[in-house]
Amino acid sequence: MKARSSLAWSVIGAVTALLLAVLWVAPLLWAASTALRPEHETVSAVFHWLPQTWTVEAFAKVLGAGRVGRWLFNSALVALLVTVVTMALSLSAAYAFSQMRFRGRNLLFAVTMLAFLVPFEALLVPLFRIMNQLGLINSYAGIVLPQVVAPVVIYVFKQFFDTVPADFREAAVMDGAGPLRILWSVYLPVSGNIVWAMAIVTFIAAWNNFLWPFIIVTENDMMTIPLGLTQTYDAYGVIYAQLMAAALIGALPVALAYVLFQRRVTHGFLAATGLKG
Amino acid sequence: MASVRLQGITKQYEDNPVIKGIDLDIADGEFVVLVGPSGCGKSTLLRIVAGLEDVSSGTVEIGGRICNDVEPAKRGIAMVFQSYALYPHMTVAENMGFALKLAGVPRTEIGERVARAAEILQIGHLLERRPKALSGGQRQRVAIGRAIVRKPEVFLFDEPLSNLDAALRGQTRVELARLHRELGATMIYVTHDQVEAMTLGQKIVVFNGGRIEQAGTPLELYERPANRFVAGFLGSPRMNFLPGALAGEEGHAANVRLPGGTTVSVAADATRAAPGASVTLGVRPEHLRVEGREASGGIPATVALVEYLGDATIVYAQVDGVPEMLALKCRPDGACPERGETVMLAFDPGHGHLFDADGAALPRAPVVK
Repeated sequence: MKARSSLAWSVIGAVTALLLAVLWVAPLLWAASTALRPEHETVSAVFHWLPQTWTVEAFAKVLGAGRVGRWLFNSALVALLVTVVTMALSLSAAYAFSQMRFRGRNLLFAVTMLAFLVPFEALLVPLFRIMNQLGLINSYAGIVLPQVVAPVVIYVFKQFFDTVPADFREAAVMDGAGPLRILWSVYLPVSGNIVWAMAIVTFIAAWNNFLWPFIIVTENDMMTIPLGLTQTYDAYGVIYAQLMAAALIGALPVALAYVLFQRRVTHGFLAATGLKG
Repeated sequence: MASVRLQGITKQYEDNPVIKGIDLDIADGEFVVLVGPSGCGKSTLLRIVAGLEDVSSGTVEIGGRICNDVEPAKRGIAMVFQSYALYPHMTVAENMGFALKLAGVPRTEIGERVARAAEILQIGHLLERRPKALSGGQRQRVAIGRAIVRKPEVFLFDEPLSNLDAALRGQTRVELARLHRELGATMIYVTHDQVEAMTLGQKIVVFNGGRIEQAGTPLELYERPANRFVAGFLGSPRMNFLPGALAGEEGHAANVRLPGGTTVSVAADATRAAPGASVTLGVRPEHLRVEGREASGGIPATVALVEYLGDATIVYAQVDGVPEMLALKCRPDGACPERGETVMLAFDPGHGHLFDADGAALPRAPVVK
């Protein structure tokens, strides 16, 4: 009786997981299906799950237009810069909050965490004004700088650093290492998976960020891929096949990055939650 | 090598004083063991010498140089941590050479010094392994090796054997003593294990409540403890204590009346105590002996427990009016009483210790023949 009940629950679980997987993958498959059909089929009144005529014409046009390459480069550069600078700043801040003793440390940490409460949208206008005053509109620095402050990443690193035995730091102090050296040579290597996890998440968020580049960038050549997708239209409106082709091309590097580093990300999150190192 | 002088050291965390005024001189090349119960401040004092903690007041002098404001790495010291603190992502060789690398020592010289230290500690075959691939004893050797390569003037050990099993602890104790002889370095060693203290230290410093209770050679502390705390801390099983009252003096001996009315003689100078004053009699387990039931002047007791340890037998006996059982060591070849037997316990007056009501030892007198 008990075994039968257990089997039933297993079946229910498997079916639910399958349904969720289909739900998740359906838009992706639909995008691929749309991108692989001629443009006239995308606006056909008759609905077909699969293309009636298979073609890569949309991909060829998107890649041939020359802009997608530029947008991909911009996205890659911006996401990379955001990731590197965010990691550098967050690791340093987290180390200081976790391991160093200085006046006002707790207050400063509390203020940093308060940034959780302020939605990014509320900061758009002041940030835009600051960037404008600094002359950073339509520049990489303008796109990157507001994205590198990440209280949640600081929090995750600090929580992990708190669990690293203090003996490591003290041994390094005895060995003659200063704070930055200790962070680089001791704390960073022992928190490898968490750093990878945070870096991948930051990279994906920066790659997918639409709102801030939409505000700060007006020139076509400075657009990132999510912003560039809005440009795939002609005199008659949106070109659906090309839009989906560009979206798939834009999503590919992120998906690839996640697949490549999936194990590190999973281990990193487990380590961050303290479930497993 | 260098001497270490601590003068008027205090350490306070907010309103909580941890070190309450320490003066201590450690000679060049001396092996000093700081021993005491958990929380007595011995590790804090070691960390103060290392520079990992600041003093609230007082001076730390290493090799004639005041080091209060000198960075830990520049004090000429090396420390072996209780947890070993080996960097998990580095190989044994990298762990041992890390300090030298930071100091800008050429790579070839680092290799030579690491190899030399590895040879001394017989860990040459482990140099390319990472710490997780080492046993506890091997990690401990690597931690010592990491200290040796720096050629420090003073070695600091913070309970380095506490994570090892009993057999390995004994073996490593012998190796540490050998290492001290070979290197001739000044070593300060913190432990709560009195066996480590007695076997390793040329000088033992007994701590309690942030103060030094007594400092001296192991034998001095064992045979002439300055107070009841030191007497009870060193020795296993610990010294037996019996409450009593001073009944008078007779030559070089003080007579003490014990609960139950027995009067015993102790070779102690009790002139500073008034007759009738409360005192505590202390006798080590190996100095108590079993007399025949009819013997006079003995302490009547009932055997409650007998522990056979192989090389010795420990007999625990209950004395009327004494809250704790008395322990006595029997040799395996000697006659040991059985559980439930009533016996008379006795000791030589020269082996008794007397402590006044404050716990301070009364001066020893020449042994009464």
